[in-house]
Amino acid sequence: MLLIDIVLPGLVLGGMYALIALGLTLQYGVARIMNLSYGESLIAAAFGALTLYTGLGVSPLVALLLAVPCAVVLNWLLYRLLLARLMRRGKDRGAQEIDSILVTFGVLFAVQGVMLIAFGGQYYSYSYLSIPVVVLGTTLAVNRLVALLFAAAIGTAVYLLLTRTRVGTAVRAIAVDAGAARLVGIDVPAMSGFAFACGGGLVAIGGVLVSMFLTFNASMGVVFTMKALVVVIMGGVGNVLGALVAGLMLGVVETAVARLVDPGLTLAATYALFLAVLLIRPTGLFGRAAA
Amino acid sequence: MSKAIACCAGLALAAALIAFPLYVNGYYLALGISVLYFTILATAWAMFSGPTRYISLATVAFFGIGAYTAAVLGETWSWPVVLLAAAAIGALVAAITGLSTLRLSGIYFVIFSFGLAELIRQLVIWYEVNIHKSVGRYLFSAVTQDVLYWQLLGLTALVFLTGFLLGRSRYGLALRAIGADETAASHSGIDAVRIKLAVFILSAVFMSVTGAIMAPRWTYIDPSIAFNPMISFQVVIMALLGGAGSLFGPVLGVIPLVLLFEVLTATLPNHFSIVLGVIFVLIVMLLPRGVIGLISPWSWSTPEGGAKGTAPVRARSGPLLQVDGASKSFGGLRAVDNVSFEVAAGQIVGIIGPNGSGKTTLLNLLSGALAPSSGAIRFGGTVITGLKPYRIARLGLARTFQLVRVMADLTVAENVAAAALFSTAPARATGRELLDLVGLAQMHDTPAGELTYIDQKRLELARALALTPQLVLLDEWLAGLNPSELETGIALIARLRDRGTTIIMVEHVMDAIRALCGHCIVMNAGSVIARGVPDEVLSDPTVVTAYLGGADA
Repeated sequence: MLLIDIVLPGLVLGGMYALIALGLTLQYGVARIMNLSYGESLIAAAFGALTLYTGLGVSPLVALLLAVPCAVVLNWLLYRLLLARLMRRGKDRGAQEIDSILVTFGVLFAVQGVMLIAFGGQYYSYSYLSIPVVVLGTTLAVNRLVALLFAAAIGTAVYLLLTRTRVGTAVRAIAVDAGAARLVGIDVPAMSGFAFACGGGLVAIGGVLVSMFLTFNASMGVVFTMKALVVVIMGGVGNVLGALVAGLMLGVVETAVARLVDPGLTLAATYALFLAVLLIRPTGLFGRAAA
Repeated sequence: MSKAIACCAGLALAAALIAFPLYVNGYYLALGISVLYFTILATAWAMFSGPTRYISLATVAFFGIGAYTAAVLGETWSWPVVLLAAAAIGALVAAITGLSTLRLSGIYFVIFSFGLAELIRQLVIWYEVNIHKSVGRYLFSAVTQDVLYWQLLGLTALVFLTGFLLGRSRYGLALRAIGADETAASHSGIDAVRIKLAVFILSAVFMSVTGAIMAPRWTYIDPSIAFNPMISFQVVIMALLGGAGSLFGPVLGVIPLVLLFEVLTATLPNHFSIVLGVIFVLIVMLLPRGVIGLISPWSWSTPEGGAKGTAPVRARSGPLLQVDGASKSFGGLRAVDNVSFEVAAGQIVGIIGPNGSGKTTLLNLLSGALAPSSGAIRFGGTVITGLKPYRIARLGLARTFQLVRVMADLTVAENVAAAALFSTAPARATGRELLDLVGLAQMHDTPAGELTYIDQKRLELARALALTPQLVLLDEWLAGLNPSELETGIALIARLRDRGTTIIMVEHVMDAIRALCGHCIVMNAGSVIARGVPDEVLSDPTVVTAYLGGADA
């Protein structure tokens, strides 16, 4: 049946989009840093998983235990060394955002350059858990289902952490108004750095999981950055559940366009959807009205 | 004397640039071409993005459109027509996207512009693969490298000339005012949407024509060459390195970076990306205002005053302002509920009421910041209900803001000049006289952001007066002043009335209301609960209850 053939693979694809967008939700939604080098972190984690799996035979799911702490530390350093300075320098949020875009733009090229030297421009993939299962008459791969489950679990966990814990509340306070958060005794730079680093950890999870079923190369990061951005903005900046729903929606739309119109137009469909959301609801499908 | 020397040097430089292809070999000519085309792109980029601070990553979208226009039409049409076609298509795409996107600001615009470039690239790829049946196209052109260089040189001269004229015209200052504070600019009579759109289109036209001129340089063109996003990025860092806030800033970034990229591609082709990234990071961290920022902090010239047209004949019969049943709802909340009043010319009317009673919302309805949900507002006989703020401002209705809004990056004088730019009324006072009036004469060239809070309020008033308004709305203009400043402030408002300016003031300082207002209106929960002479109104039991609560409170 055509509908199920579109919706199920679409949801699975969307689960992946939601997964890769979760980290950006924290980094942009909370730490207010538009990290354009986000996709590069994702690809770097994917290369890490690839190296561990093909070189040492370490399962990608075990590799997470190594990749996530590394990513957290590296992102924290990125924040402390570069971004925190810009946050202090910027006069207002607008200036801070522009500066952070520009500087992470440079980081994008630097990281990409390092990966190009290490791995060259060719495409990589490896096979892990690529066992077909039939769900409702549609064939899906187990590794993609695992990614979907992870996306749901991590999304829920992040949501609960943000809404049910003290740290999460502090982080949300910063997202709403960093100036006022400082007044009620929240250490804004430290918490922002923490949120940024956590976002980096989440992107590493995304990268490792994505590497199980996608072919990737060193210069593909920007595609993931754009997809993640589309999802974050569609879901409403800083809105974790919104990102989850928006990711699923994007997956379904892309699958539908590929099946019904032309596979060559999926990227165009992504951007068209993105531009439409920006124009009609710049605060996102589930976002609040602009402050 | 020094002027003559500069003139001779300029002529010599121009001659050297024109004769450049005649005395250098192919390698240096190619380098010269790169410098020129990046100079045009970066200067055109900075023309729009410099003053408005809308960081556009869509440069390559327009560049690619131009290149593809040349590739598709180049063999059949004559070359000048091809260039015109490229300019027209670029302008059309810029107009469509600009109309829909220029209300996005900050990060959304950055991402939108990037998405736009990618969208156009994907569509071109799809078209080429499915309709044209081949991803690439071969270009056969008789244009030699020399001719290409001269075309670019001509366009470079044109882009600098355009930038120079734009910077000197009132549109240049208007664009900077928009970049500094769009709301304040709109309320100063500046049509922000149209000006942003016009300059965006202008800059896109230069980019498209550059793409068309450059197309013959490649004999083979495909979307990944013509729409290479790297071009957008390089343009941004060149403009930022040089300094996007001034006309000749970008070229100071273009020359060193083009040379550096050239050296890098020759010596370290594999490390190109890393070095590019590191340079980018360093520029943003260390040179936030670009190379030119090191040389001169304020490099734009200020046009003095504004164009003074002839004044429209304004109806003088009847009340100056007539508000008839104005309401404004936000969802279920009626912030302003069926408010009617009239203001005669020369009056000072006070609007008072507890916090949250709808006073500022009422002012926002009058000044066009918000459109009323229902009701009609007439100003000097013209219905202004739902007009855009800049139109209302040009009609002679000026305002100040409760949370003071000055254009922080502009000087005090520029703030005032910006408001006079599009005013149609004959100016009664120069900017200097207005600054004198509010007591800021000494601060003429100080950036407005460096003023104290009180001085910023004074500047706002001078800016409002620069519109030569018939009616000024003051939103808690006296709030936060100490007793002696309050006295000066009250005297100043009285002086404005004596000059024939009508004033509506929202105020909590009752002494000022008593001293100045012949009539006042009390609002509570969106409605008018009392009106009349201040002393009577303030002793009205309903008013006392509204402020202090019921008898049991």
